[in-house]
Amino acid sequence: MSDITVLTAAARERVGKGSAREARRQGKIPAVIYGDKKSPASITLERKLLVRHLESGGFFNTLFDIELDGKLNRVLPRDVQLHPVTDVPEHIDFLRVSSTTRISVEVPVEFKGEDESPGLKTGGVLNVVRYNIEVSCTPDLIPTSLVLNLSGAEIGDSLHISAVSLPEGVTPTITDRDFTIATIAAPTVVKEETAATDDGTDTEASDGDSTSESAGEETEEGNDS
Amino acid sequence: MLSPKRTKYRKAHKGRIHGNAKGGTQLNFGAYGLKALTPARVTARQIEAARRAITRHIRRAGRVWIRVFPDVPVSSKPAEVRMGKGKGSPEFWVCRVKPGRIMFELDGVPRDLAKQAFTLASAKLPVDTRFIARVGGD
Repeated sequence: MSDITVLTAAARERVGKGSAREARRQGKIPAVIYGDKKSPASITLERKLLVRHLESGGFFNTLFDIELDGKLNRVLPRDVQLHPVTDVPEHIDFLRVSSTTRISVEVPVEFKGEDESPGLKTGGVLNVVRYNIEVSCTPDLIPTSLVLNLSGAEIGDSLHISAVSLPEGVTPTITDRDFTIATIAAPTVVKEETAATDDGTDTEASDGDSTSESAGEETEEGNDS
Repeated sequence: MLSPKRTKYRKAHKGRIHGNAKGGTQLNFGAYGLKALTPARVTARQIEAARRAITRHIRRAGRVWIRVFPDVPVSSKPAEVRMGKGKGSPEFWVCRVKPGRIMFELDGVPRDLAKQAFTLASAKLPVDTRFIARVGGD
């Protein structure tokens, strides 16, 4: 957190969808800065610059200095609204932070030692349960990433938060349990595809929003043949 | 193929698909996804064909999530039947997909393999699609 990027912003005189759309047409992104017991400020930022930061990763745990009317505001991005189809950012929320405020922030997990994991070497699949972990810390101590070492992990092993060494002053927000970050799932055997005649038998149903499956489990093919 | 276990009503109106997706537009489970860019009624058969294309291409690795579910019954009349005499019988199930919807997600495979698998799956679907990857997920 040593070098903090400075973003130059322009204040928005009008708020609402009309002015926000106008800003977007001019290649800018409407945004808001709030928090630290000060009144919120409506601003616009250059889209090109913001997209570059968004695509480089770790946007939500990176501090920025937003220059507004000659003053620097130390901020942390809290929310980005994306267009549902194009995924172009449409609005950004920034939280004003001071060095003493304790904030909860999502930090990405970095997986290391995949070559030294016997489970992954023998064909196991890394099943990531959490790509990000919410931690509580002061703004100066926000880690860029949390490293999870996979060396020595066998098939069937679960890797929990206790396996991650957190920096001093950084605590996970979930403290009541040793939650799972990733598991090493067993490889699944692909059955030889016989003449697949689709008889329309209903073999699968979902209760929730999504249906998931291990790719190798070709049970449907087995039933169809 | 996917279909509801039970439904409140046997037949549904045809309906129209307006606007963009309100939810399910970002990756929630895997590192890669297939996003619909155009609206369409995607049948259970098409979803199943796309799923098979993905699972067969990635073979032993990875995990697939299906983020759409065909819950709209489509009815049709038999051949050589005069119009009238009521609505036809339910024949198949469809999902109304709006632009922006993530239809499939994939994890545990390299980016190139995921992209190839989704290209094959996309050929089975009646919508234009785009490959989506999690930021920093390479």
